[in-house]
Parts: sequence; C-alpha cells; structure tokens
Amino acid sequence: MSATLKQGLTADTVRELSEARDEPEWLLERRLDALDALDDLDLPDVIQTPGRRWTNLTDLKFEQLVDPLNQADETERVTAEGVEVLDFETALDEHEELLREEFGSTLDPQSNYLTALSAALFTTGTLIYVPEGVDAEDVKIRTEMRSRSLFSHTLVVTEESASVTILEAIDDEGPTDDDEGRYFSNLVEVAAGANSNVQFGSLQNLSEDAYCYTLKHGIAGDDATVNWIEGNFGTQLTRSDVETELNGEGSESQIVGSFFGHEDQHFDVNARVWHNAEHTTADLVTRGVLDDTARSVYEGVQDVGRDAWDTSSYQRENTLMLSDDSEADASPKLIIKNHDTEASHSATVGQVDQQDLFYMNSRGISPEQARNMLVEGFFVPVLEEIAVEEFRDDVEALVQERLRN
Amino acid sequence: MSSDQDHLQQTDTEERFDFKKDSEAAYAAEKGLTEETIHAISDDKDEPDWMRERRLRALKQFQAMPMPTDWPGQPDLSEMDINEIVPYIRPDIETRGGVDDWTDLPDEIKDTFDKLGIPEAEKNALSGVGAQYESEVVYQNMLERWEDKGVVFMNMDQAVQEHPELVKEHFMTDCVPPSDNKFAALHGAIWSGGSFVYVPEDVTVDMPVQAYFRMNSEGMGQFEHTLIIAEEGSEVHYIEGCSAPKYSAFNLHSGGVEVYVGENAHVQYSTVQNWSKNTYNLNTKRALVEQDGRMEWISGSMGSKATMLYPSTVLKGRGASDNHITIAFAGEGQDIDTGAKVYHNAPETKSTIESKSISKDGGRTNYRGLVHIADGAENSSTAVECDALMFDNESTSDTMPYMEINESKVDVAHEATVGKIGDEDIFYLQTRGLDDDDAKQMIVSGFIEPITEELPIEYAVELNRLVELEMEGSLG
Repeated sequence: MSATLKQGLTADTVRELSEARDEPEWLLERRLDALDALDDLDLPDVIQTPGRRWTNLTDLKFEQLVDPLNQADETERVTAEGVEVLDFETALDEHEELLREEFGSTLDPQSNYLTALSAALFTTGTLIYVPEGVDAEDVKIRTEMRSRSLFSHTLVVTEESASVTILEAIDDEGPTDDDEGRYFSNLVEVAAGANSNVQFGSLQNLSEDAYCYTLKHGIAGDDATVNWIEGNFGTQLTRSDVETELNGEGSESQIVGSFFGHEDQHFDVNARVWHNAEHTTADLVTRGVLDDTARSVYEGVQDVGRDAWDTSSYQRENTLMLSDDSEADASPKLIIKNHDTEASHSATVGQVDQQDLFYMNSRGISPEQARNMLVEGFFVPVLEEIAVEEFRDDVEALVQERLRN
Repeated sequence: MSSDQDHLQQTDTEERFDFKKDSEAAYAAEKGLTEETIHAISDDKDEPDWMRERRLRALKQFQAMPMPTDWPGQPDLSEMDINEIVPYIRPDIETRGGVDDWTDLPDEIKDTFDKLGIPEAEKNALSGVGAQYESEVVYQNMLERWEDKGVVFMNMDQAVQEHPELVKEHFMTDCVPPSDNKFAALHGAIWSGGSFVYVPEDVTVDMPVQAYFRMNSEGMGQFEHTLIIAEEGSEVHYIEGCSAPKYSAFNLHSGGVEVYVGENAHVQYSTVQNWSKNTYNLNTKRALVEQDGRMEWISGSMGSKATMLYPSTVLKGRGASDNHITIAFAGEGQDIDTGAKVYHNAPETKSTIESKSISKDGGRTNYRGLVHIADGAENSSTAVECDALMFDNESTSDTMPYMEINESKVDVAHEATVGKIGDEDIFYLQTRGLDDDDAKQMIVSGFIEPITEELPIEYAVELNRLVELEMEGSLG
C-alpha cells in the first residue's frame, strides 16, 4: 500500500528518531526493515459484504496526522515487587539482550501496514519482565498523550511459573484545538513462559476527536494463561485486535472486551484465538453498548488447528442498543480442523429488556434510572473478570459517566 | 410398495446416480463462451430478440467481472476453466418443451429417469413433474385440476414464448440481476431449461411440484433457470432434485432461481442436491417476499466437488417471514460452502435459519450466512442456529456468520456449536445392541431430522439413504 503521509516519511526521519534516542544499531535496523516493508503491506483486513464495508480504515486519518519527530507523552509506571517495569530506553540499558531477542518475536511488526508504521516510528514503550516464580499484582502504566501522533510498544515477558496482573491506560490532554484530532498506535506483545499467568488489562479513554489503532498479540507456552481485558470508551474511531496463540499444551486464554459508544463513535473490535496444541481452552467474551449514532463492528475467530486435540473453545458477544440510530455488525467465526473439540459461539443484539424495565418501573424506579441500572448490570460479567481493582473502578466510573451524559 | 420401489430400496444408491448413458445429442454447442455461442443457443431456441439481448448483455457483464477469489476460506475454483465447459447440449427429442408421457421419450432418457425413480414419485406424491436432461426439459406434466385453476407449470424456454410479459418483467430483473455475481452473469448469458411456475391468487397447490435435473455428458455445464411467481394468498411447494454421473473432467452447474412471494403467499423450495463429485455447483437463489408472505428454503447439499450456495430472502413487506433449513454433508474431496442470506427491509419481519453440517474423510463444510436488518425494520427478529458434527481429524468445519444490525428494536440471536460424534451416545446405543456403524448412522439420522421432517416422506427416505451411503465403508 502506498499511503502518502503528510509529513513525509523517509529513512532519514527514522534515523533521526533513533539517533535522538541513542538506540543500538540492531533496533535502528528493525525500524528501517519495517519502514521498507510499508510499500508491500496492506491495511488490516476489514469485513466487506455486498454493499457494506464494515470499517473504512483510511478514516483513521493516520496519513494526515502522523508526525514522527514530534511525539510526546507523559507516562507513569507503577511496578510491583520482583517485577521490572521499565521505559524502553532504560530497558535498552539494562536488558538489551532480552529486548533484542523478544522484541517483535511474538507480534510480527510486518503483520500489516499499520503495525509496520508503528514499529518504525514508536517513541514510547514499556518492558515488563517477570522473572521465574515471581507473583506480582497491580502493575500499572498510565500514559497521557501530548502530541498529534504517538506510537507505543509494550513488551511483556513472563518466565516459568511467573504471574502478573497489568493495567495499561491511555488518555490525552483533551481535544485538539483545531479539531483535527490525534492518532494513537499501540502494539502489545505478551510472551508467556511455561506455567506463567498474565492478565493484561487496557483502558482506552482518549478524546473523542482521536483515532486509535491497537494490536495485542500473545503466545502462551505450556500450561500458561494469557488473559486480555479491554475497555474502549474514547476516540472517534478505534480499530482494536486482541489475539492469542495457544502454542503450549494445556494453555489457556480469555479475551474479554467491553465498549460503550455514543454520538458518532465507531469501534471495530476483534478477538482471535488459535488453538495450536493439545488440551487448550479459550473463552471470548465481548459486551458493548451503543447510544446515539454510534456504531460497532465485531469479529471473533476461534481457530482450532489439526493438532489441537481435546480443545474447548467458547465465544459470546452481546450488543445492547440504546438508540434507534446506532448500528452493530458482528461476525463470530469458527474454523475447526480437529474433531476432538467442543466449540460454541453465540451473539445477540437487542435493546434493554422491556419486561425488566417495566418491572423496575412498577417498583417505583424512574425509566431513566432503571435503564442505567440495567446497562451497569450488563457490564457486570466483564467487571467480574478484572483483577486490577483500580481498572475495575475506572471502567465502572466511565460507564456511569457516559450514562449521565 | 411397488416392485420398482423395492428395486430402488435395494439398489446401491451410488449405482443409481452414477450410471452413464450413451446419448445422441441433436445439438451441442462448441466448448467455451463467445457471442457466437449466445447466438447459436438463441437461434436453436428460436428466441425473441429481447431475450437474446439480455443474454448478450449478461455475457458482457460476465466478461467484465473477476472470479471471486477473496472470500475468506472459499472453495478453490482455480481448476475450473469456463472455456472447457460445453455450455449447451440439446438432447435428440422430437417434441420441443418436453413430452407429457414418459413412454414418448427415447429409451435411454426414459430409462435414466426410471432409475432415478421420478415417474414412480409422480404417481404417488406430486402435482406435477418436469425433467431436464442436459440443457433441455424433456418431460413436463401437471395434473389437470391445477391447470383448470390457472396454475402454470412449464419449462422456462416455453414460458419465454408463451408468457413473454410475465417473463420480461420478472426474469433476472429485480430478484437476481446478472450483475449480482459472476456466475449469475454467466447464467444470464447461457441459461437453458428450468421451470416456470405461476400460481394465481388464493390457489393452494396442496401436493408439491417437482423438477429433476440430470447432467449426463462429461464436461458439460447445466444452467437451468427457475422462476416462481406466487400471487397473493397462494401456496406452493417446489422440489428440485439434481444428479450427474461422475466423470474425470469437471462439470459445472450454475442454476438461477427467482421466487416472487406475493402478499400473504407461502412458497417452500426444497432441494436435494446429489451432483457427482466432479461438479462445481455455483448457484444463485433468491426470493422477494411481500407483506405477510412466507418463504421457506429447505436444502440438502450432499454431492458436488465444490458448492457455493447461499439461498437468500429479501423480506420486503411488513410481517413477511423466512425459514431456512440447510444440511451439508462433505466427504472426501468435497468443499461444501453453503448458508443463507436474509435482508429484513420492513418492520415486523422474522427469520429463522437452522444449519446442520457434517464433515468427514477430509471434507470441508462451511456455514456462511448474512443477516441484515435495515434501519426502520423495527420489531424484527432473527434466530440463527448452526450445528456441526465432525467425524475425524482430516476434516474441517467452519462457521462464518455475518450480522448487520441497523435498527435497535430487534431481537437478534446467533448460536453455533461444533463437536465430534459423542462417544457416550455411541456407547449407549451399543449397550442396546447396535453395532458401531449402526449407532453412528442413527446419531446422524437424528442430527439431520429437522430437515428430513420438512420433506415429503419419499424425499426424506431418499436423503436418509444418501447419508447412509456416505457413511458406509468409512466407519468402523
């Protein structure tokens, strides 16, 4: 694909960016490889049916907004005992070999045009390294975006029998003065060693003139667990892909997604799991609410490979429509190549249950209050999965805030 | 039970479908597809100019459209070269438009349909029968009492001559225009044969009408067109059967079906497809349903090398409804990609889709379905249920539903399950004295029962026999 970036993008730009950060040669090479690949890469796949393209990714406006040399952010990192939570530059100083080995090994930077762009231009990022046997909770990374565009890269490495719960949150300093918006791109890779356990929560609450692209990809080793929890509240348009490869025997993954769209927000959220080994389990749960003219697109894929004997794989997607003018597209897919599988998926779209409303009204609860209670209740299955308390509180608060507006 | 039927029951079903006939053709078009081909077909049929023009227009559209290659997981069509297909073969019969007495047919054609059991079925359970051999309908008959009520059941070529106004208005216009997809365009260019069914207002045709399509020659394409018009308050059940013997070269079947369901009318369209495993089966079937009308698609896809078929319903009028029941069975070397499409374009419309698929010995099934609820189609509901059964680790079972919901006052539910045949169920049946094969067959029969119970008993028996045949030899 040949996109024309407004600010122009040459190898010199990438070199300048890398030199300013005093990066080792290997990292510069990888940035340049990603840059070279751009011409041959396409935007991520989008579902198209006769007469309807579910999301138009050029609407992400990255062509106009990307400004590689003027990226800025304020990031707060909260670590836990025994865990290394380091910004990328410090990580290069202290764990260069680990980074060199792991960076881009779980998530292929050349997956598509937007991931390659991100790998070539990222300026902020975090390494979370959990050594063998460490059990850590409540690692937090809170980033405030302070520029037109920002590219971020997060790498989580857990060694054998390690365990960690993480919250990564992104917001910004407010809407842009000229209403042109911002572009935030975030790649997250999780390499989960044998018998380790990762819960990665991410909360996106950017201003509503912003655009966001994020790909999160995990690989689970033997008996490892990789759980993802996503909350999408901000931006005008978000494309989010959350993926796990279950490559280890007995590995597990849960992908929990939630979104609450209003006005003209558009969320394109995707959850995918590949069962590549025996005795693996996956559970995909997505719950979303749409108000005003908001629109959601969901694709869920459960892919069971030939060698994935004794697989269990489940998927549920539920969308609640609060307004007549909202739209919801959904495609839960099953790709099954091993018959020793128990797999199911279900999806529903509908309104707040009228009988529930009627019952609550008859108990003296006003229609609006009843609706709000039912919406809050709708998100409970998602909230229950969140291990980081602060994250749970944030999601609850954001749901309530949106219901008030 | 007649001795003929005994014979059917006892004969190996594969033998029944797989026999080949040396057949004299009166006219066979050259392989490939050019404007000359179209003129040759149109000349041979002595068609009016307007139909010739439509064919030529469709040919241009066909040539302009690319082959579909970018559907996720779609069957491989790369070995299918349309220029290798013989598009048109007119069997050597004297009566154009088909005879109305089986004994008037040449022996080898009559024998073909006897073996398939069509004349026997006609006597017992049908209001009318059409039989197509290669590109032309060779037999067409309907009970007099339906003719008296104004019901029309004739072959499509004849309808072009005898009901030009109805055909002009409805043939590949609003329902399946040639621009719909590449194979609809191909069909529009070289269609031949098929059925025309017209049911006047308030007439209920209480026994089904059937058309049977048989391809006999190697390397041919069959492109029959079926047009059903059910006027207000009418009711009809149309059954379509298909088969061909197996050859080493591929055959192509690209039929077109258009159904107009009037206000408060009810049409059921049932298909049991058993094309040979060298046939590409690429059809376009669609129904337009007016207020309070009801459309039902019952499809059993057993045969073919590759099938891409998604019967679709457009619910145009308030209160219109749709019911899809589909079963796909893919064995060795088969890729059955089938499903349903429903457009809810009016309020209070309802659809239910029930899909059952079975894959074994390396076969692949895919449910590919689209449900679209338009803005303003309030109080509509749809329920989709897909169940898949897998026999072994070489096979593939995919499920790819798409839902587009542009209206909030709706009830949308989709559910799917995939699993292997239950060891416990088999064990239970074994304790009751069944052997392993019988137990598995019984479980499969139960699995597809929702389909078989919608079909007249003869066809249910037929479908069950086909399934049994597919299961034989590979089990135990």
